[in-house]
Amino acid sequence: MNNKLQAKDLINVGIFSAIYLVVLMAVAMLGYIPVFIPLLSVLVPIVGGIPFMLFLTKVKKFGMVWIMAIIMGIVMLILGMGVWVLPIGIVTGLICELILKSGNYASSKKSVLVSGVFSMSIFGNYLPMFIARDSYFETMRSGYGNEYVNALTNYMPEWSWLLLLAACFISGIAGGLLGKAVLKKHFKKAGIA
Amino acid sequence: MMANEILQSVSTGKRFKLDPRTKMLMVITISTVIIGGGNGGLMNIAKPLLAAVPLLMLITSRRSRAAIAYTAIYILCFAGERLLVPITSGFLNFLIVACCGMLTRFLPGIMMGYFLVTTTTVSEFTAAMERMHMPRQITIPLSVMFRFFPTVGEEMAAINDAMKMRGITFANPMRMLEYRLVPMLMCSVKIGEELSAAALTRGLGAPVKRTNICEVGFHIQDMFAILICIFGFAAFFSSRIIS
Amino acid sequence: MIELRQVSFRYEQARQENGLRDVNLTIGDGEVILLCGESGCGKTTLTRLVNGLIPHFWGGDLNGEVLIDGVKINEMPLYETAKIVGSVFQNPRSQFFNVDTDSEIAFGCENQGLPEEEIRKRVETNVKQYSLEPLMGRSIFELSGGEKQKIACASVSACDPDILVLDEPTANLDARATAALRRMLLLWKAQGKTIIIAEHRLYFLRDIADRIVYMNQGRIETVFTHENFISLGAEKLENMGLRPLSLNELQYHIKQPVQTNENLVFSDFRFSYKNGKPVLDIDKLNISEGASVAVIGHNGAGKSTFARCLCGLERKCGGKLLGQANVKGRKQRLKCCFMVMQDVNHQLFTESVLDEVLLSMEEENEEQAEEILKGLDLQELKEQHPMALSGGQKQRVAIASAIASKREIILFDEPTSGLDLRHMREVAANLWQLNAMGKTVFVVTHDPEFILSCCTYVVHMEQGYVIAQYPLDTNGTARMLSFFQDTADKPADLEGMVMM
Repeated sequence: MNNKLQAKDLINVGIFSAIYLVVLMAVAMLGYIPVFIPLLSVLVPIVGGIPFMLFLTKVKKFGMVWIMAIIMGIVMLILGMGVWVLPIGIVTGLICELILKSGNYASSKKSVLVSGVFSMSIFGNYLPMFIARDSYFETMRSGYGNEYVNALTNYMPEWSWLLLLAACFISGIAGGLLGKAVLKKHFKKAGIA
Repeated sequence: MMANEILQSVSTGKRFKLDPRTKMLMVITISTVIIGGGNGGLMNIAKPLLAAVPLLMLITSRRSRAAIAYTAIYILCFAGERLLVPITSGFLNFLIVACCGMLTRFLPGIMMGYFLVTTTTVSEFTAAMERMHMPRQITIPLSVMFRFFPTVGEEMAAINDAMKMRGITFANPMRMLEYRLVPMLMCSVKIGEELSAAALTRGLGAPVKRTNICEVGFHIQDMFAILICIFGFAAFFSSRIIS
Repeated sequence: MIELRQVSFRYEQARQENGLRDVNLTIGDGEVILLCGESGCGKTTLTRLVNGLIPHFWGGDLNGEVLIDGVKINEMPLYETAKIVGSVFQNPRSQFFNVDTDSEIAFGCENQGLPEEEIRKRVETNVKQYSLEPLMGRSIFELSGGEKQKIACASVSACDPDILVLDEPTANLDARATAALRRMLLLWKAQGKTIIIAEHRLYFLRDIADRIVYMNQGRIETVFTHENFISLGAEKLENMGLRPLSLNELQYHIKQPVQTNENLVFSDFRFSYKNGKPVLDIDKLNISEGASVAVIGHNGAGKSTFARCLCGLERKCGGKLLGQANVKGRKQRLKCCFMVMQDVNHQLFTESVLDEVLLSMEEENEEQAEEILKGLDLQELKEQHPMALSGGQKQRVAIASAIASKREIILFDEPTSGLDLRHMREVAANLWQLNAMGKTVFVVTHDPEFILSCCTYVVHMEQGYVIAQYPLDTNGTARMLSFFQDTADKPADLEGMVMM
């Protein structure tokens, strides 16, 4: 079997991208209540870990995870969620490929790690918030004064982006482990993994 | 009906069509400039202009409900910020600031995205991608994704029905997750297999350049829209350079 | 000309289909070959050899040669084979790649990189030829199963291949759609195309097939000429495990229903879609408790909607069920009805057959569960994952969970689509078993043979109304058969005008 991506592989990427997107949107429905928005960075990777791990059992060649990350980025772009998921996805996707390749596409530990790395591309949805943060606080300064703005920034400190990114990664690992358990319990027994 | 598609399946109106590439540029421009942009100078013109563009688009494409919702939420946030911030304090204050701030910044981009998604068909989008010389490693999975998205919805609806029928209720969140996802994934893999076979036996994967009978192209309205985007980006970058 | 020389094949992963052994077959240009046999006999595998899916998609051990016009196709890449062999598959829901009909018909040509003008011309020709104008410019998700299959056929025919391979194309279609497919086959035959079709339903191919290849356990057992096959007679066909060639030849006994005095009255079952179109409008329906009711009607008559409303799955449908003791609204009906769905995969949730049965029980009782499994011949499979079983076995697991739920009304939605004779009889036996337990059974079905094997009553629906209901005595049987006969033999010029 040659190493070039065949139409069958590309179709698989499309199918699992659709599934991942459905999971993302279903969980994002909770985001109507603004307090839950940071929670998405935890829930989406955990729930998404199940289809993602199943997807990884079908990944035996270079490029499938990378393409999936890129496609997610394109979809986020056309939905108006900002351009950042795409470049972040390009980077995280590539890292995922290198990890998988180093394990010869057969290591389940590396698959869990990849689940963590892949989930970090979700952070791209939050990035505009942090980028906007500074300029936004600047505009508030002129309206409300320094003291007020400084008090505000305490709730969303400079380093909070790191926290969110870490949450994505760790939840991705959790999702990967969950996916691995479901693989064993169901998909392997049923013969589709 | 039941199909909850991302992009449209068939054309919903032919008034003055914008090329999908133009729409994408508009979404990118609006979300980038409004979310990340500073203030002062050209931005004072660019930002309101770009925020108004989705409204204009929605009105001209007869999506009055979305247009009204957009306007209403925007005004609400604006007012909320002016009125509620001085009278609240602590975490609640932060919450209001964050929500109003976020919404006013994100909403224009999202509404433009909504416009794109509800006025572009999958075929048009794929044709536009192919025109942009996107490699087939991207266009094929992308079209499959759009095609499969409603199918996942259908499968989940059927599984929900089965759960209702069998009386499986919200016992344990882990179980519910398992019962929702596992059958759906099994069915999806099977459908995916059949889909692949049907596509391959119709020649998908041949090493020739795919043609596409869907018509997309640039017209005068696209030029106009692109000019606005160029202006937006000019304002964006100039304010960056200044500050 | 297609030649299979000493072909043997074994699937890489042990699947439900058997491989092939020592297959030799030569098919001339323009011939129409029917492949038939019991489930698992290898007919699907043979079709996959001709369209190249074996070995390029389904891996395994392949010996022997498959040649088309002297060229070995197992050494040709799939996209080359696709130019000369077009394929139509069983499941309309999973064949389409695009979201709208126009793009779907153009799909194969687009893949070949044909110039746009040429493709548009071909799409237009095909649309005209098969009278598909009403289907153009629409979302494929909105079409019925029969309409989807029409688009699939048009998509394949637009590439103008010389050979057409069809794998059980009518498995999910009703009589009208099957007739429409038959007309397409006649058109293709007239165009001189070579057609290979694997099927369980034989009657619609009666006067189309030139030769009939009967397969058994991976081998070709006999090849019949058209005349020889027709003259075989119903009994011989039954022994071969095949469905009869015509509805006139069905053999049956009139079933005696369980005598009860109890009546179930269904009242005010109405349902319409969001855009206001009414789909179901039943004032009152009287059924004796313990009956085995076949719900028949054309596609779109409202049969499945009726089943879903009865079961309590449609929130917008009011409807009351008056039983002996009480009146049941929607929520109570959810608790007293069990539906075996058309796609059983949607209702299997656990990791073992035993667990699946236990899931239905209010209080888990392993002994009882094992008893139920034994009654359905499933106890050997009790530790297996339900999704690893064959279609028929999965259906029996669903029936087992229905029994375990102790509910009084059991509904089946098209349980015999694509089943061969033996499996259809098994399902009929299981249904009859449920009846014997005192359950009231409703079956939505297109299968007259099946109805005769296990039903005692018929409800005939049309456009959301119940237009007839009758017991399956001698008269009733004749009425039921004439409904199916009518659509099967409708004159050609009227069909195709009727949209489903």
